[in-house]
Amino acid sequence: MLFSSITFLFMFLPVVLAVYYIVPYKAKNIVLLAASLFFYAWGEPVYVVLMILSILFNYFCGRDIHSYADDPARAKRSVAFAVVVNLLILGFFKYYGFLLDTVNAVLPTDIPYRELPLPVGISFYTFQAMSYILDVYRKNAKPQKNILNFALYISMFPQLIAGPIVRYADIEEQLRRRKISAVKFGQGAMLFITGLAKKTVIANTAGAVFEEIADIPTGSLSALTAWLGVFSYAFQIYYDFSGYSDMALGLGKMFGFEFRKNFDYPYISRSATEFWRRWHISLGTWFREYVYIPLGGSRCAVSRNIFNIMVVWMLTGMWHGAAWNFIAWGVYYGIIIVMEKYVWGASLENMPGIVQHIYAGVIVLAGWVFFFSPSLGYSLRYLLAMVGGGAGLADAQGAFILYTHWLLYLLAVVGASAFGISLVRRFIRLFRSTAARMAVSSVIYMGIFLISVAFLVTDTFNPFLYFRF
Amino acid sequence: MKSGKISAARVMKYIVLGLIVIFIVLMMLFMSGSSRPFEEVKDAVEGSLDPEELTAQDSARLKRDLGLNAADYSGVVYYSAESNISASEVLLVKVRRDDQIQPVLDAVEQRRESRMNDFEDYLPEQAGLIAGARQSVRGTYIFYAVSPKADDYLAAFGSSL
Repeated sequence: MLFSSITFLFMFLPVVLAVYYIVPYKAKNIVLLAASLFFYAWGEPVYVVLMILSILFNYFCGRDIHSYADDPARAKRSVAFAVVVNLLILGFFKYYGFLLDTVNAVLPTDIPYRELPLPVGISFYTFQAMSYILDVYRKNAKPQKNILNFALYISMFPQLIAGPIVRYADIEEQLRRRKISAVKFGQGAMLFITGLAKKTVIANTAGAVFEEIADIPTGSLSALTAWLGVFSYAFQIYYDFSGYSDMALGLGKMFGFEFRKNFDYPYISRSATEFWRRWHISLGTWFREYVYIPLGGSRCAVSRNIFNIMVVWMLTGMWHGAAWNFIAWGVYYGIIIVMEKYVWGASLENMPGIVQHIYAGVIVLAGWVFFFSPSLGYSLRYLLAMVGGGAGLADAQGAFILYTHWLLYLLAVVGASAFGISLVRRFIRLFRSTAARMAVSSVIYMGIFLISVAFLVTDTFNPFLYFRF
Repeated sequence: MKSGKISAARVMKYIVLGLIVIFIVLMMLFMSGSSRPFEEVKDAVEGSLDPEELTAQDSARLKRDLGLNAADYSGVVYYSAESNISASEVLLVKVRRDDQIQPVLDAVEQRRESRMNDFEDYLPEQAGLIAGARQSVRGTYIFYAVSPKADDYLAAFGSSL
């Protein structure tokens, strides 16, 4: 079930909210867990069994690791076992076909294999489960005694399908006790509506433009069209994923939870390093906490630090998908971040701000080319088209796309910085009394909601890009 | 008391792991698609069909009966009975993308309803075959069979993957 669907907005969510707020406090977690399992089973009626088994496995592993509190060697063996099993399950569903395809391509073999569809959200809930296991092992969190609370942590529907990846230590207390209030509900609703608009109004429209451009052979792409294509994709993936994250954070608030933000205006960054502090923050935090720092982080020799950075970025690429373009994308960022740290980072900081923004923009956009390309060859041909190696610098097609979609691009640029939301806030502050401000806010957000629903009803192009990860 | 609880958690984690392995094996046996080329699956399914019951149909007939364009998919095989008093038909489709699965299933469902309307009043045994039609989605392969031998055809499809 998509957040941006009529079924979710007008049936599932109102019913779950009504029941959640009616039942006594002690029953709220059970209501939310039941709703989450139903939500997942709606789209994955078979794989919900796998998720429940994963919950049980990690719950018992957590108890087992805790039982070895006085025996570090056994605790280490137990946590290694749990992590390996989680990675094997994830690896099996996500990388098994890719591995055999690669073997068949490299070796003179033709090994047939049975394909299984990727369970939606498996990368997200597996990383959450490993966060729990590792937090318990490091004694950053106590093992969860209540299996229903643990199941809720793994399966909570607002962030189950596409994050943010919530670290167990961050939410442990909230699973037991959290504040539920009308103010928080209102804030959550506004955040949810903002995310819905990002998704339905901008991401889906930009996605349709990108699809149109991606259908054109790279040899027939002018530089203008190629740049518009990559801009469209950059806006699509940002508004799609950050929109989903806003909706997840908003829903969390409506149910009394506080999740950390997942995006912080990444396109205003001045370097690739800064971009990754602002983009998919929960994934970056996960890799930093559970991979980079345990490997030695930056408190080690330069060569070792470079190794640590490259490992993290290769894994980040692989996490996104079982394909060479994702690995290339991860390695690309690994190299750029190493270079910024050890070669040109200091010089970059001394340059004018506009140069830094252009630098970061080019790096990120070139990165998206690797990300959206079906193959490495395609990405190189696309990059060539961006510098005029396709069908010249500009053509009528590119001009037409720009002319017919300039408002979309303007809206996307304004919304990609804090400027967009500050305009709305400034307008609301024009009204002096609190009551007037509340009334104006309500009208604005209701208007945004209605526009979003109108887009939703008329638009069939509606996938969330991060569902496939 | 404490050691009892500990051992219970340890035992349970292995039991659950065993259940996960069983789940995956069952998925592989009954739900998985296949990387096998369409031609191999097609040959295996066609080899199992009764030529006296079913005749291969072209893409125009596929379009007329199910509203599907054969060119939209990686591969299509469509057989149906020549006789007007038989509801037998077999369809095998390999889709290019996952999002093509649901439209094909919708087309099959529509065909099933329409054939049921055709037969239920005057040939109830054929309507019974339609009601007992065999359908299977395995990865990117979709199989549909209406026939007294539908189970055999489905088995041939399953083992071809």
